Amino acid sequence: MSAVRWLIKCGAGAAIVLIACGFATVRFGGGLQMPAATTRDGTLVTLSRYLREPVPDIVLVGSSITFRLKEEYFATPGLRNLALAGGSPVTGLEIVAKQPRLPGVILVEANVLARPTDAALVKRYSRGDIEPLFFRPVRAAVAAYEQRLHAPLTHEQVALDLRRLVGQPPGDFDNRVYVNHALQQFNAEDPTDVVQFNAKRVEELIRLVEQRGARVLLFELPYAEPIEGSRFAATTREIVHAAFPDSKRWLPIEVNRSELRWADGVHLDERSAVIVTQAMERALALARTGK
Amino acid sequence: MTFTSWQFGVFVAIVFAAYYLPALRAFQVQLLVFASLFFYGYGQPELLALLAVAVFGTYLFLVLALRNRQVWLPVGIAFNLALLAFFKYKLLFIDPASPSLVDFAPLDFLLKLPLPIGISFFVFHNISLLVDLTRQKATPPTLTGVFLYIIFFPQLVSGPITRAEMFMPQIKPKYFADIAFVEAAKWILTGFFFKLYVSNNLNEMTSYISFPLYETLQTQDRWLLVFLYSYQIYADFLGYSAIAIGLGLLFGYRLPINFNLPYISTSFSEFWTRWHISLSTWLRTYLYVPLGGNRHGVWRTYLNLMIVMGLGGLWHGAGLGYLMWGLLHGLLLVLERPLLARLASIDFAVFRAARMTVVFVCVTMLWIFFKLPNFDHAVGYLAGMFTPTTNPNPTKLFYSLALLYSLPVMIQHLGFRPLFEGRLRWAEPYLYGSMAALMYLEAGAETSFIYFQF
Repeated sequence: MSAVRWLIKCGAGAAIVLIACGFATVRFGGGLQMPAATTRDGTLVTLSRYLREPVPDIVLVGSSITFRLKEEYFATPGLRNLALAGGSPVTGLEIVAKQPRLPGVILVEANVLARPTDAALVKRYSRGDIEPLFFRPVRAAVAAYEQRLHAPLTHEQVALDLRRLVGQPPGDFDNRVYVNHALQQFNAEDPTDVVQFNAKRVEELIRLVEQRGARVLLFELPYAEPIEGSRFAATTREIVHAAFPDSKRWLPIEVNRSELRWADGVHLDERSAVIVTQAMERALALARTGK
Repeated sequence: MTFTSWQFGVFVAIVFAAYYLPALRAFQVQLLVFASLFFYGYGQPELLALLAVAVFGTYLFLVLALRNRQVWLPVGIAFNLALLAFFKYKLLFIDPASPSLVDFAPLDFLLKLPLPIGISFFVFHNISLLVDLTRQKATPPTLTGVFLYIIFFPQLVSGPITRAEMFMPQIKPKYFADIAFVEAAKWILTGFFFKLYVSNNLNEMTSYISFPLYETLQTQDRWLLVFLYSYQIYADFLGYSAIAIGLGLLFGYRLPINFNLPYISTSFSEFWTRWHISLSTWLRTYLYVPLGGNRHGVWRTYLNLMIVMGLGGLWHGAGLGYLMWGLLHGLLLVLERPLLARLASIDFAVFRAARMTVVFVCVTMLWIFFKLPNFDHAVGYLAGMFTPTTNPNPTKLFYSLALLYSLPVMIQHLGFRPLFEGRLRWAEPYLYGSMAALMYLEAGAETSFIYFQF
C-alpha cells in the first residue's frame, strides 16, 4: 500500500469516528452528564448543569467544605449547590454574577477565601457556549452506565435515611492523623493578603448582584476545635467579619457542636453535614420571612 | 515547548518544510542544530549557555582524546559527570530559596539556575560520543555534527539515549522521497495516543497517590492506583519515545526503540531489556561492562549489578526514593540470577504466566518509590496498602474509567500486532485513524511528560 493511500485511509478512519461523535453530540449532547472522575470534572458537571437548567431560587457557592452539603440533604425546593471542591467561593460567585438571570438568594461560604479565583473557569462559563462540538465517547459511555446504576437522588427519596442517620449517635472515627495534617497546612502560610483581596472582590460582587435584585447571605461552616484556632481560620474570620460587620448579612448556623464530627477536622462527615444543612434551612426560612 | 502543544506542531511544520527545500539541502544539519537550539531555548533561554558549554567542552575533549585517549577520555567524562552532579545534586546541599547562597556572585548565579531540562540525557550522549569515537579512533567529526548528535530536538529532552556509533553515521544529506511516512505516522500517532488518551487520563486518578491526598484513599484503591500508575508511566514514556522516533524518521534519522512490551517480561533481567532500553543499554555498555560485568566471579557480578542499578536510580534524581528504587531492582536482579537457568528450563504456559505476574507485580510495587521520591511518603503509602481504611469519606474512583483508559496498554501487551501485520492488514490505517480521533476527543487534562523532570 502506498504511503498516500495509507494516510488517506487513516484520515478517513479518524473522520468516521469524529462524524459519529458529532452526530451523537447533536442527538444526546444536551442531556449528557459526564461522570466526575476528578474534582475538576465534578466542577464542570455542576456548572454545566447550572447553566443548562432553569435558574433556581437559592444557590450556594463555596469550597470543598460546602461541597459536602449535598443537594438532596436540603428539603427546600429549588436549591442548587455550586460549591467547587478544590475551588474558591469567589469563583462560584463570579460565575453566578455573570449570568443573565440571577437566583433569589445566594449563600456564600466565608471559610475558604485564600484561594485565587479560577479565571479560566469563570471565562469558560461566562461565554454561554458550554456544549462541546463532540462529546467524549468513553466518558459518555461510563456516564450512561453510572447514571443507570446511581441516578441522582431527590430529598424525598433519602428523607427517611437522613432521619435515621441523624438519629444515630455521632461517629467515633479517629481523625487525629488527618487533623494534624490539616492543622499543619492551616498554620503554614499567612493568608492575610489573599483573603483581604478576595473579601473586597466579594463585596463588589455582592453590590453588583444586589443591584440586580438578588439577596446575598454569608455563612461560616464549623471546623473541628483545633482547626478553629489555626492561623488560616482565625485570620480569615477576622478579615471577613471586619469587611461584613452587619449581622443581617450573615446566615447564623446554630448547631450543637458536640454532635458534629469531621473526617479530617475540616470537612464534615455525612451525619454532621445533614445536621448543619437542617440548621441552615431553619435560619434561611427565618431570614426569608423576616426580610 | 512540549510535544503536545500547538506551538510545537507549528515549529515542526516550519522546520520540516525548510529542511527539504532543495536550496537548503547543503545546510540541513545546521538547520536542525538551529531548530534544536530554538526548541531548547524556548523554555529555558538562560540555559542555552550551559548547553553550549557542554557541547563545546565535549567537542574539545573529543579532539584531545582522539590524540591521547588515556589522558583526555577520563577528563572528558569527568567534565560531563561534574556538570550532571552540579545541577542535579546541588539541591541536596543548598536551599535555592535563600536570598544569597555564597558571597561569590557568579557562583551564586550558577547555584540558583534551575535544573536544565534533559541534562541527564544530553550528558549521557556526550559520554557516549567520547567513548565510541575514541574507541573507533575515528577522524574528529564536524562541530555541527557533534551539536546535532547531542541536541537533536526530538531526543534532546527525554531520549531515547542514542549511541554515537549509531547516530553519527546517519549524518548525511536527506531526501524527501526517502521519508518513511507511514512508519513515522504510526510512531507519532501511537505516541500521542498513549500520552493523551492513556497517560493524561490516568494521571487524573493517579494524582491521588501524592501526599497527603493518598490519606483519603480506600485500601483497595491504593492497590488499584499503583497498577494504574504502572500503566501510566509506561504510556507516558512510551508516548514520548514513540513521538521522538517518529519525528526522527521525518528528518531522516532512525532513533533506537525504547520499549518492547516490558510488562510481559518473565524475569527482571528480561524486563530491563524491554523497559527504557536505551538507558539500560547505555548503563550496560558504559558502566556495567567497564566495572567488569560478570567476568570476575559471582559476588563481583552481584556487586556490579547493585552499583549499576543504584546509580541508575540516582540518575533519575537526588532522592532516597530513587536510590531505593534502583537498589531494589538491583536486589531483584541479584536474587533471580542463580535461578534463571532452572526457571528457563520449565517451559509451559501457566508457569510462564505466573512468572510474568510476579515480575509485573514487583515492578509495579517499586514504582511507588518513583512516584513518591520522599521515602517517608512512599513507606506511608505502602503501609496503607496493607491496613484497612477507616476514613468515612474516601475518594471515589470510577473503576470503569480506570479500565477503559488502561485498556490500550493491556491490549498492546496481549500481542495483537501480528494480526494487524497479517490477516487484518487492511484495517491498520483505520485503526490508527480511530486512535487519532480518540486522542483528540478523549484527551485527558494537559500534564507534562513524567520524564521531563529528569
